[in-house]
Amino acid sequence: MFNGQRFWTYFKYDLTKMWRNHVKAAILIGFSGLILYILGIAFNAVFNGVWAAPGFGSRVVVFFIACFALELYQTRTYGYLTKRREGAAWLMIPASTFEKWLSMILITLVVIPVAFLATYVIIDAILALADPTYGQLLIGAAKTTIANAQQSLAEANDEYSTTWSLGVFALPAIVGYICNFLYFLLCGISFKRNKILWAFIILSIASIAFSTIMTTMGLQSDYYEVNELAEAEELIRSMIGWSTIASGVLAAGFAGGIYYRIKTLKH
Amino acid sequence: MITVKDLSFSYGSKGVLKNISMELKGGNIYGLLGENGVGKTTLLTLLCGLKKPQHGSIVTDGRVPFDRDPSLLAEQFYLPDEVSPMPYKALDFGKETGALWPLFDMDKFLTLLNEFEVDATQRMDSMSAGQLKKTWIAFALACNARHYFMDEPTNGLDIPSKSQFRRAIMKYTSDESAIVISTHQVRDLEEIIDPIIILDKEDVLLSASLQTITEKLFFDYGNQLHEGALYLENTPSGAIQVYPNTTGEESKVNLEALFNAVHSHKDVIKGLFA
Repeated sequence: MFNGQRFWTYFKYDLTKMWRNHVKAAILIGFSGLILYILGIAFNAVFNGVWAAPGFGSRVVVFFIACFALELYQTRTYGYLTKRREGAAWLMIPASTFEKWLSMILITLVVIPVAFLATYVIIDAILALADPTYGQLLIGAAKTTIANAQQSLAEANDEYSTTWSLGVFALPAIVGYICNFLYFLLCGISFKRNKILWAFIILSIASIAFSTIMTTMGLQSDYYEVNELAEAEELIRSMIGWSTIASGVLAAGFAGGIYYRIKTLKH
Repeated sequence: MITVKDLSFSYGSKGVLKNISMELKGGNIYGLLGENGVGKTTLLTLLCGLKKPQHGSIVTDGRVPFDRDPSLLAEQFYLPDEVSPMPYKALDFGKETGALWPLFDMDKFLTLLNEFEVDATQRMDSMSAGQLKKTWIAFALACNARHYFMDEPTNGLDIPSKSQFRRAIMKYTSDESAIVISTHQVRDLEEIIDPIIILDKEDVLLSASLQTITEKLFFDYGNQLHEGALYLENTPSGAIQVYPNTTGEESKVNLEALFNAVHSHKDVIKGLFA
C-alpha cells in the first residue's frame, strides 16, 4: 500500500507537473497585494494628487479575496482526473491509491498555500519596507486592530476585560481553510463539467439546511440569551470552538471522500 | 497470464460484453477485431483496470486489475487511441514519467524515438498526431512492461511509421509479453497479430490462433469459384474466397476476408471453432 521510495518518486513527478501549471498560478494569485498597491498608488496620484498606498481595510479585503480565489482554484488542480485521456493515464501510473492521495493532499494543503502565502508575505514585507505610506505589515496591522478593539471595549465597559488575540483565530482559520481546500478539491475530481458551479450549488444547499437546523435549535433553547459582554465573548469562543471541531470533522470526511473517489474512479 | 471469466459489462441498459471467457497467454500478440461499438475499447479498459467488471472476473498473474496494485501497474501499459500532448519535450517526458515505471529504459526510449524519426527535443504539444502517437508508443515499449493493451495504435501513423511500429513491436517486446491490440486497420497488423479475437455485440465470435484458423478455414486466392464459400470478394488481382477447410491444406489468412466471413456466417463459424 505504501512504499517510501515509490512515493517519493511519484511525489517528485506530481510536484513537477503541478509546478508547471498550478503552483505558478498560486504564486500569481499571491501577487494580488502588489496589484492592489499599484492600482491604489495610481488612483491616489491621478485623483488626489498624492503618493499614498491603499488603506489597511482594502488590503485585508484583497487578501481574503485572494485566499478565496485560491480555494476555488482547487477545483482545477486535479480536475484533469475526470478527463478520459489524462485521467486514464494518471490511473495507470504505478503508484498505490494511498500514495497518489497523499501526494495530492500534500500539494493541495501544503505546497500550493505555502507558495501563495510566501509570495504574498514577501511582497507585503517589501512594500512595507520600501514605501512609508504603506504602513505596517498585514499581520502586524491585524494585531494592532484587535488590540485597538480590545481597548475600545475596555473603555466602554469598566467591568469587562478580554484576552482576545490573533492567535484565537489562527487554529479555526487553518482548519477552515483545510476544510475548504479539500471541499473544492473533492468537487474538482468529482464533477466532469461546471465544477465550480456544482461546488456552489452543493454548498448553498448544505448552508440552507445547516442554517435551518441551527436556527430551529437556537429558538428552542436559551443558549443565545446574552446579557453581558463577558457572556457574549464566552458564547463566541464556544461557537468558534464548535465550528473548528465541525470543520475538522468535515475536512476528515472530505479527505476520505477524495480517497474513495480516486480509488473508484473509472475511465 | 490473463484469465477472463464470465465477464459482462454494460453502459446503463446497453449491454456491451456478456459472459465472455478467454485466456490471454504471454508470448502472443492478440488482435482484437470488431465493428464499431462492439466493446473493443471497453474490453481493453477492463483488462487494464480502468473499469470494473459488473459481472465475472479478470485475473492478471493472480491479481485483479481494478485493484490497481502498483506492482501490476508497473508490469502493464495501456495505450489509448487518443494520447495526451504533454506540454514539454519528449526527452523530459521520458525522464520524468519514465521514472515511475521501475523497468523503464531511457536508452531504449531514445533509440525508439530515433527509429521512429521523432525529434526528442521537440515539445510534445507541438508534434503532429503521428509523431505524438509514435512518442507514446516509444515510451510504452521503453517501459518494458509484461502486458500491453493498445487501442488502435496505428491510427494517425503514415505508411513508413506503420512498418516501423510493426518492427518495434517485434523487436522491443519480451517473449513473455501478452500484447492485446485493438484495431480496425487489420492490414497494418496482419503480419504480427496471432491469435485473433473477433468481438460481436455481447459476444466473442472467434478466438483462435492463425494455425487453428488455417486448419478450419481455407483462404483461396484462385479464380475458380467454390460453391460452399462463406465469403467471396473480387479484387483487381483476382478473387478471395473463404470456405471450410476439408482437405487440411494450408493457406495464408487474409484478415479482412476472415472478418467478413465470420460476420456473414456467425453460426457456421462458431460451430466450426466450437
